[in-house]
Amino acid sequence: MKKTNDKLRLAAMVMISIAVIATGSLFALGSLNEGDVTGAVLGGVIAATIIMFALVVFMRGNSDMKNGFPLRDERSQKVLERASSRAFYVSLYVLLGIGFLSDFITFRDVSQATSVSVGIMAILFAIFWAYYSRREI
Amino acid sequence: MRTRIKEFRAKHNMTQEDLARKVGVRRETILFLEKGKYNPSLKLAHDVAKALKTSIEDLFIF
Repeated sequence: MKKTNDKLRLAAMVMISIAVIATGSLFALGSLNEGDVTGAVLGGVIAATIIMFALVVFMRGNSDMKNGFPLRDERSQKVLERASSRAFYVSLYVLLGIGFLSDFITFRDVSQATSVSVGIMAILFAIFWAYYSRREI
Repeated sequence: MRTRIKEFRAKHNMTQEDLARKVGVRRETILFLEKGKYNPSLKLAHDVAKALKTSIEDLFIF
């Protein structure tokens, strides 16, 4: 892969991370203003997790690029594809399960339900990515 | 699948990093290839074999 592509990819990752962190922080602040402590804590935890994850990815990617290694190759691409497809597939069942438990789990509004769905997919993706990164593929 | 990458790499006095740089992949990919835990594409197998001045048949044992 070209070095310019890697630089662009790294920059895009940083920008997306900043956008997600800002959203998480705004969600946390909004929840806090409404007196929803659970929502505020959840938003804060999501933002903090993404900050840590983004920092690790950025530092690793940057040092790899400086040492002449590509940011992505065919194996890491394969891991990414498998992790994302599994995360999508499993999240369908998780969301279906949440639907069945609608008597016990209630959401404040559509935006909260959407945020939870995206959060579940992101967590599942991180788990599958960590799993397939260390496994035979 | 077993590979003889480590053996050929030692013969050419190359580190995993050197081979990874020469082939244009990440270090982990070479590590997993050596362990036989990654089935590479035909192109990557060819590139690794070329970098180690051998053939795919000699490098990968199925």
